[in-house]
Amino acid sequence: MMSFVVGIAGVAVFSVLARVMQSAARGTSPVAILAIAAILSHLASVALGIIYVPQFQYWSAASIFSFGVMSYVFVFGAVYKSVSLEVLLAVAGHPDRAVPLPYIVGHQVPEIFRGRIQILIESGLVEQIGSTFAATAAGERLAARIARLRRMFAIGDSGLYDFPD
Amino acid sequence: MVGLVTPAMNFLPGPAQTAAICLGIALPLLLLCYARIPGIRGAGSRFRIGCATAAALFAIACAVLPGERRIDDVAGGILLLATAMLLVYVFWGLLAWGFTLTLLTTLAQAGRPLTEEQWAAAYTQGGDIGKFARNRLKLLLGSGMVAVTGDTIAATSSGMAIARLARLVRLATGLR
Repeated sequence: MMSFVVGIAGVAVFSVLARVMQSAARGTSPVAILAIAAILSHLASVALGIIYVPQFQYWSAASIFSFGVMSYVFVFGAVYKSVSLEVLLAVAGHPDRAVPLPYIVGHQVPEIFRGRIQILIESGLVEQIGSTFAATAAGERLAARIARLRRMFAIGDSGLYDFPD
Repeated sequence: MVGLVTPAMNFLPGPAQTAAICLGIALPLLLLCYARIPGIRGAGSRFRIGCATAAALFAIACAVLPGERRIDDVAGGILLLATAMLLVYVFWGLLAWGFTLTLLTTLAQAGRPLTEEQWAAAYTQGGDIGKFARNRLKLLLGSGMVAVTGDTIAATSSGMAIARLARLVRLATGLR
C-alpha cells in the first residue's frame, strides 16, 4: 500500500512542478513541459520509494502515478484549446450569462478559426500567400500522416462531431 | 543511515497488472479491428466499444488467471488500463475531432492555396463557419450546459459550474 502512497506523492510533485514550469517557461510547448515534469517527478518518486519503502512495488506506484498524470493531461487538454469550452466561457463570462447567437456564430467562432490559422502559421505548417493560405512541405507531410491514420482507423476527416439528426 | 531501509524493489508487475498492460497496448489494435466492422459507426461509439471490450477482457483475465488475486495487483491493473484508455483517447480525440489538425488536413487536401472563406467551406464540406459553430454548440446544448431561447444563447447552472471549474483548472495549471 505504501507503494501507492509513493505514486500519489509523485502526482503531487508533478502537479506543482508542471504548474511552476508552465508559468516560468512561457513560449515553450505546454506538452513538452508536461512531459519533462512527468519524467522528473516519476524519477523522484521512484527514488523515494526505493529508499524509504520496504518491498517497494514499482508497478503499484507507477499505476497510480500514470493515472494521476494522465488525468491531469486529459483535463489540461480539455481546458487548453477546446472550441466548445471557449464558447461556454464567453457566454458564462457575460454579465447576463447570455449572448446573442449571431455573435457566437458570426464573431466568436470566426475569431477562434483565425486564431488556429495563426497557430498553424507560427508552427511552420501553413504559409500565407497574399490573401490565401497553403500548406508548407512540413504541413503536407504531417497532413499525409494524419490522413493515413484516419484511414487506418476509419475515422472521417470532417472534424465535426457526429450527432444523430 | 538512520531511518533508511535496505533497498528492495520489485520491478515485475503482478498478473492482473500484466494483463492490464497487455490490454492497454492492445487497445489501439482493438480499435483497428473495429474499424473493419461497418456496423460500428462513429468514432465516439467505436472508442467506447473498444474500451468496454478491454475492460471485459480484463475482468475475465482477473477471474481466470491462476493464483490468488491480490487487491493491490487488481487495483494497479485497473489504474493502468484506465491510464491506457485516457492516453489513447487523447490521440483518438485529436484524430477524430481535432480542430487545428483538421484545418491542416483540409488545406493539404485542397491541393491549392485557399482564402479564409474557401478554407472554412472546405473544412465544413460545403458549409460555412456557421455550420462548424452550430456543430460545436450542439455539444453544449446536448450536455445541458447552454440553452437557446429565441436568438439568445444562455449558460445554464451546470454550464456556469463547468465554466467556473474550467477557469479554476486554467489557473491551477498555469494556463492563465
